[in-house]
Amino acid sequence: MTIQILAILAVMVGAYAAAKAAKLSVELGIFAAAAAGGLAGAFLKTPAIGDLGRHLVEGSTTYLDVILVFFTATLFMTIVNESGGVDYVVRATLRAFGKTRVLALLVLMIIVLVPGALTGAGSVSLLVVGAPVALALGRLGVPKKRVAAILFIVAGLSAAAPPVNIWAMILCAGTAIPYVGFEFTLGIPVLLLGTFTILVLGWKKDPAASAAGADLAPAPPGMTWWRVLLPFLVFFGMVAATRIWPFATPIFGLSLEFAAAAAVALVLSPKRIAFLTLARDTAKRLLPLLATMVAVGMLQQIMTVTGVRGLMSFAVISIPLVLLFILLPVIIPFSEGILTYGGAAIIGIPLIWFLDSIGFHATVVIAGLSLLWPLGDGLPPTALIGRLSTMVSGYEGSYKDFLKATWLPWLVITAVAMAMIIFSSKLAFLVKWSM
Amino acid sequence: MEVSEARMKKTVLAKAVPAAALLGLVLWGGLPLLRHRHFDIPVVKGPGVTAVLRLSEFSPGLKGTSGDTNVYVLQGRDPGGKALIMGDTHANEPEGMLAAVIFIENAIVEKGTLYVIPFFNNSASRNTRPGDGYPLYFDVATDWGRRRFRFGNRDASPLDQWPDPDVYIHYPDRQLLSYIDVRNTNRTWPGRVDGPLMERVTFGAMELMRREKIDVAVDIHGAETMFPVTNCIVAPDSSVKIATLASLTVKAMEGFENHVEMSPSGFRGLSHREIGDHGPSLPFLLEAPIPFLDQPTGPKTTRFLLDGKDPFLLSLSKKKKLFVPYGEDGWPLEKRVGQHTSVTLEIFRQFSKKTAARPIAVRGVPRYAEVVKSGVGRFLADPAKAAPGGVVMN
Repeated sequence: MTIQILAILAVMVGAYAAAKAAKLSVELGIFAAAAAGGLAGAFLKTPAIGDLGRHLVEGSTTYLDVILVFFTATLFMTIVNESGGVDYVVRATLRAFGKTRVLALLVLMIIVLVPGALTGAGSVSLLVVGAPVALALGRLGVPKKRVAAILFIVAGLSAAAPPVNIWAMILCAGTAIPYVGFEFTLGIPVLLLGTFTILVLGWKKDPAASAAGADLAPAPPGMTWWRVLLPFLVFFGMVAATRIWPFATPIFGLSLEFAAAAAVALVLSPKRIAFLTLARDTAKRLLPLLATMVAVGMLQQIMTVTGVRGLMSFAVISIPLVLLFILLPVIIPFSEGILTYGGAAIIGIPLIWFLDSIGFHATVVIAGLSLLWPLGDGLPPTALIGRLSTMVSGYEGSYKDFLKATWLPWLVITAVAMAMIIFSSKLAFLVKWSM
Repeated sequence: MEVSEARMKKTVLAKAVPAAALLGLVLWGGLPLLRHRHFDIPVVKGPGVTAVLRLSEFSPGLKGTSGDTNVYVLQGRDPGGKALIMGDTHANEPEGMLAAVIFIENAIVEKGTLYVIPFFNNSASRNTRPGDGYPLYFDVATDWGRRRFRFGNRDASPLDQWPDPDVYIHYPDRQLLSYIDVRNTNRTWPGRVDGPLMERVTFGAMELMRREKIDVAVDIHGAETMFPVTNCIVAPDSSVKIATLASLTVKAMEGFENHVEMSPSGFRGLSHREIGDHGPSLPFLLEAPIPFLDQPTGPKTTRFLLDGKDPFLLSLSKKKKLFVPYGEDGWPLEKRVGQHTSVTLEIFRQFSKKTAARPIAVRGVPRYAEVVKSGVGRFLADPAKAAPGGVVMN
């Protein structure tokens, strides 16, 4: 069976490579890999050829919710941007903190951490506050490449931060472990690593970058603090209400929360915004990212039904423990790069059961792993958060150079995460503190 | 002018062809999903069935929704204790549903009353699992042909309950659970009368237990071979004595592995925890290994679902990485279903011994050895041969 599955995997890789050689986009490459893998699998009736369409269509809906959140969040921030709110906030932030650079950097880090920590999605951090923070960092003299690197790492940390960490939730749900005890176990490393990242990447001031960022557009007449803040208050108010009064508040869902905030921003904008044109342009801008999510879902489904996914999981579980620890810093981020959240289920669930059974502390291991997964959001083929970071920061250079700029925080995060996994039993006190 | 028109035609064609191909793909792939959602499963009213209720009779908010489901009542000749059996709490663990159907179609209750809900999470049983490539149906071979069942998902369909929250806050303990668990009927106990649909489902079952004074509640599941909590009965303090006796008895008398796991008091929302904490019944959650749900396996085919044979799991078993003994013969459906019927009957027997005033006596239901020998299909009735009005669609 292994040889048959490896042959299917080879067909998938070949199809992706061929699509890249033909200069097709990432999403079409992933779709080609899924379709070719499905056809190769059909020779062995895994799946039957008649079921291939169903698997592709069903797989395409895997990330439907994420797609809706991406669209509504981007639409919201685009309206705030169009209304002049972003320029207004950046000017005010720099006026308040601009003279104490370190303090300004730390405040900006916290601003990026909050939306992701509350929603579990680094993408939300980037879509909601990425653009103004990128502008502010530019004004503080951080070049665009390093701005994109900061946003990528801190947004990733925000997704791992408590109270909502989707990787940890998937693992807890899959391994029947309660989602408790993560506040300090994740909160402390996230804050330390976030501080390290923003200081390392933002410390050095580049006068050229500062000058380039100086030409901020003036805020439009009529823009006031309450016009900027009220839409955000609506969003965070809806998030907070479902937490504070969970049994008296209906479940809004992130998409509706963003849509409501967008509607308020639209009404409060001091200048008229052509909503339909804006929505169409936003959809166009996001299309490659959304199409990637659709295609990744298809790929995941085909990988499962053909056995490729199971073989990957089997390979990881079969590795001897020492070798596993050496390889985890590569395996975990790459599983995220290929399968996004699917990696947590495929590799994470059996891994947690295995490590738990030989005496590791499951909650600390989950926390450690969930620091590694966000790094994979910068890796191809999906590179979702990496691509979003370059998009909102306006960085137009090579993607490879952007990734290279993240090397030091990447290394330190990996070291911390691995230490948490290997010494999980010794760090169990963090879980006790959190309970 | 002609050149420009030709170019326009080419552009239209370049857009129309992929659009038509996409539409074709959506129809090819979408129609089977639509059919699966609307595929009803016939269940034959066996000799012991005295009434068929709807769960909405206990939770009015379920009426007219996909959360509503059939409750089969098998009232005994003599009075006695009362038991509830639930299958398809997780609709991707079909051994529970099949064990429940075997009870409905075969059981004759001599003392006490049985309430059986074979499709507890009806919405999940009409759902699929995007990204995981599950089969839509599976067929069980019988003496008279093949009987087809829907294969569902662990969670209710988002078509029935949507959107999900960012995090699910358990009622009433406020414990944070994964957002997915808001659609998982083994996390939404004890439920609320006006909560999200799945909380209304578990509330309905709680109300049934409270109103009918159910003594024993059995929630039947399947678990991965890599999951430590398998081949077992999960029970809280209140049920642990009966669970231990039942477990030891089946192990000694029927020769299959079984043990007891204590229900953790700090993990909320599960049937084995909340049923006892919020109602009069003694809860028991049954687990048997279902290799199909493990992650490190080959293709997810119907055959694998039924025979439970997988070379990767066999290799992991040799490396001692599974929690159950696993050999060349895998872990077939008949073993899983047989374990569940035996353990359920043994729980009833042990309960009746302990509570002589409320006995539950059932005959006609096959035990482990019989199901393994004859197959599950041997105990499934032919809906075509049922008496008029003797078939209920689910």
